[in-house]
This record gives sequence, C-alpha cells and structure tokens, in this order.
Amino acid sequence: MLKRLWKAFQGTRVGRSIFRVGLPANNLERAQAAISSFLLHMQPAKVNRRVLKFRTTLGLGLISLYLFVILTATGMLLMFYYVPATDYAYQNMKDLEFVVTAGQVLRNMHRWAAHLMVLFVVLHMCRVFYTGAYKRPREFNWVLGVMLFLLTLALSFTGYLLPWDQLAYWAITVGTSIAGYAPVVGQKLKFMFLGGHVVGESALIRFYVLHVILLPLVAVMLIAVHLWRVRKDGGLARPDEPQATQEDLTPAQLPVTKTYGLMELARGTTPAVGINPEDEVFTWPHLVFREILLFMATVAVLLVLAIFWNAPLEQIANPVHPPNPAKAPWYFLGLQELVAYSAFWGGVVVPALLVTALVALPYVDRKRKGVGVWFSGERKVALTMFTICLSVAVVLTVIGTAFRGPNWSFQWPWKPVHVEEHGAP
Amino acid sequence: MSETPNDKLQRRTFLTLTLGWCSALFALGASLAAAGRFLVPNVLYEPNRRFKGLKPEDYPEGPTFLPDLRVFLFREGKKFRAVSAVCTHLGCTVNLAGKGFHCPCHGSVFNPNGAVVSGPAPVPLAWFELTLSRDGHLVIDTAQPVKPDKSLVV
Repeated sequence: MLKRLWKAFQGTRVGRSIFRVGLPANNLERAQAAISSFLLHMQPAKVNRRVLKFRTTLGLGLISLYLFVILTATGMLLMFYYVPATDYAYQNMKDLEFVVTAGQVLRNMHRWAAHLMVLFVVLHMCRVFYTGAYKRPREFNWVLGVMLFLLTLALSFTGYLLPWDQLAYWAITVGTSIAGYAPVVGQKLKFMFLGGHVVGESALIRFYVLHVILLPLVAVMLIAVHLWRVRKDGGLARPDEPQATQEDLTPAQLPVTKTYGLMELARGTTPAVGINPEDEVFTWPHLVFREILLFMATVAVLLVLAIFWNAPLEQIANPVHPPNPAKAPWYFLGLQELVAYSAFWGGVVVPALLVTALVALPYVDRKRKGVGVWFSGERKVALTMFTICLSVAVVLTVIGTAFRGPNWSFQWPWKPVHVEEHGAP
Repeated sequence: MSETPNDKLQRRTFLTLTLGWCSALFALGASLAAAGRFLVPNVLYEPNRRFKGLKPEDYPEGPTFLPDLRVFLFREGKKFRAVSAVCTHLGCTVNLAGKGFHCPCHGSVFNPNGAVVSGPAPVPLAWFELTLSRDGHLVIDTAQPVKPDKSLVV
C-alpha cells in the first residue's frame, strides 16, 4: 500500500522533480540514488565490503555524529524555554523538570547525549589510533578530529554552565581561573571570558552565546570537512593491498569489469577504490541500511537513559559557598585531579602538551605500517605509548571520581567521609 | 615599447601586489582587533568593591565571615584584619576549619594568617585594606590588597 502510494507520487511531475531516482530497482539506479541525493552523496556509490563490517569502526564516529545531531535538535527545543539570565536560568530548569510537557525527557536526552558524545568521541579517537587510520594521507583529518574533540569538550563545558546551579557557578569560577594561569594573556583572557571581574550575568550570556551559536557553528563546519576528507582520502583506512595503485595502471590494465562512472578516484598511494569490483558493494541499500539502524539504536539507548535517569541539577548557584567536594562532570575529573597538584602545570602545561602531542602524532609517526589493522604488531612502540597515556587519563579520572572526598582529600570509595554541608562558619 | 620578460617582476606589479596585500592584511587585522576590543566591556555593573561595615566594637572576637565580600574579618581585641576567603588557586571560597582555612575544591590548606600550609595554592590568601570612616565604621576595600600582617588597630 505504502509502496503503491510512493510509486504513484514518484510518477507525478512533482515527485520526479524532488526524487530524481526513486526507489532503486537495479544497480544503475542504486548508484544514481547515492550520487543524486544530497545526504547520500557524502558517500561514494560503492564502498568496500570492509566498511560494512562492524568491527572495522565499531560505528564510533557515526554515533558521535548522531549524538551531535540529537544534541542540536534537543538543544534547539530547550532554547524555547531557556532565558540566559541569572535570575531566570535556574527557574527555567525547574520549569522544564516539572511544568513543561516532555521538558524533563528532553533535558535528560540533551545532557546524556552530551556525556555520551564526549565518551564516543574519545572512543572514536582510540579506534582511529589503534587501527592506524591517521597515517598518510589522513594526517590532517586526524588533526581535524583533535579539534573536534576539543570542541566537544568546550561545548560540554559551556553547556553545563547554563542551568546556573552550583555546578555551573563553580565550574565557571574554576574554569576561568585556569584560563587566568595562561602565560602573558591569562588575566586578560579571564576578564574577557567573564566580561568583568566577578562571575555573573555578563559571564552567563557570554558562555550562552558560545554554547548555542559560535561553537556549534564551528563544529558543523569542521564535521563537514572531516567527513568530506574521509571520502576524499579514499574512504575508511584499510590495509595496503599488494596491488598496483591507480597511477601505475595503464588504461589497458584496468579491469574490464569496472564501472567507470561509479568509481572513487583517490590520490596518492591509497589503493583506488574499485580495483577489485567484487570487493565493492552498493552504498544503497547496504551501507545506508546499517547507518539508519545505528541511528535508531543510538536514539533508542538515549531514550531509555533519558526516561529512567534524570540529568543532574544541583542547588541554585550560591556565589558564597561551593559544594564540598565541588566536582566537575566525570570527563573533567582527570583534569581536576591534575589541577589539584598545580593549576599552572596541571591546568595549562599538561593539557597544552597533550594537545600538541595529539596534533603532531600523524606527522611524527610516519611509517605506513599497520594501517587498517587493529593493534598491528608492527606498531608496538606507538601502541604502547598511546595506551600508557590513555591509562593515565583513565586512572586520573577514576581517582577524581571515586577516591576524592570533601576538601579533595583522599578517601576510599566504600568509606565516604562526611562533613557538614558547606562547612560554613 | 620594449617587452619585459615575464619572469621579471615589473614595478607596477610589485606595487599593486604590495599595496593589495598590505591593505587586505590591514583590513583583516583591524577588523579582528576591533572585534576583540568590542568584547572587553568599558562599564561594569558589578557590586562595589569598597564596603562599609559596622563599628569596630560591634564585631565579635575572632573571625566573622562577610559573605557579600567573601572576606574573613578577624578581631583580636583592638586589632582587625581582613583576609580574603577566595582561594588563590582557582577561586573557590575557603572554609574556616579549626584555626585555618580549607578549600573544598582542590584541597589547599591555609593558616589563620592566610599563608599556604599545603595544597596547590601558589600564594597566600590576600589581605585587604581596612580603614575607619569618618563616622567610625570599618571600611574594607577588596580592590586594595595590602601586605600580610598589616592590621588595623583601633
């Protein structure tokens, strides 16, 4: 019935003007479907069979992208109720929780999607590292990925400031103070972030603008370039095949079974797509189907989280007393543990070095070994170093999360220390 | 007219390029600078950093917390001192614990004079200027840090 309706619509002038191809019935139309559609043309008409295997990427990058889309949608809805003013922000949160229909679920979805996005962006980065997918010619795409990771953190940070609860207030206070430790420009930077000397209205509106316009806009542009380059660099990284590359082949040597109109021309030493036509499958429906499935799974998991677990909202911001202990969300607790040793070294130098190391990685680790292979034995040194750094980050985060009590003193997770609320004099 | 070889830079080309690039870079730089300056406010609508308190004799012996200023006012007989409650590490409010101060955020510990005992705080807690107004009230100026041990004796 639905199919008949669709066919009828497709047959009309209007239908043809919108969907040029329609539901593909043969290979030519399958290719045309991918090429002629705005959304689908991000992908080549045919992809390597490897792309469809779950273990190639574990879907981590796609899930990150989906979370960003969900965050945009839920965030836009939340904006209809949120006023970035210190007098209203917290009340708006309460309204969303208790008054607005589906307000609580939307806020929960937004918050959990943000947490998950940080997690999945990190996992995606690990996947790209452990499969050696940042190597030539994908070096710059790795750099773009690092930028997107930083943007994700910045978006999370600016986001959890907006409810103007205790977490928000003291996170702005601590965050901008860390900025104040930056050499030379530190204090100026802090003043510019806050729009004054104290954390107040001007700081809130600044972080709001960053969160809803500036950072998402930059993120959208970088994501577009990131995806574009995945395609231009020859699709997902895969092991070098002992075959001639596109450039080495004379036209006479090109496989005769090849469909020239559909191939993806890739530069450099990347094996050209389509040299082994039997390894290639049509994007529509194979890849598209899996992508839609993954999107549905992401939304489903997020909905379950949002329905059964409420997003945290602490007490209304109290400019006099921070909570004790005052903890950031889990993904910043490693950093908080570091600044608890030294604000300058832990808050400025170590993060700056880490980012520099991440950006430099593909240009330092230049040997084209183990590309597209999980935990390749040919990259023992790189794998060990990355794993050590990752473990340190995880350990610091776990310490900050579970082993720190009031006054940031050490405690065992099973023996929490209690102090009177605020310890106010 | 003699033909100049193409690979030789002509004066006209040189001037055009220099002028073009210079004005383009200047326009870009000036716009960025203006946008940056725009973000630095000229007028702040913030609470006054100078605060008029009670008369000295109205404060109890020992520490009094002044929440609006985030300052501890200590009285020891006739001696007064104002010690900032803002942790010099990352700006949280320290709590009075025993005789000293504890920061709840990253665990810095200060002694009653604000000196760092342990933790990540790089410098001691600030002391603020204390004066007496003409009608005999304490005036605390949190924009005026003074050297530690500079107490007001009334």
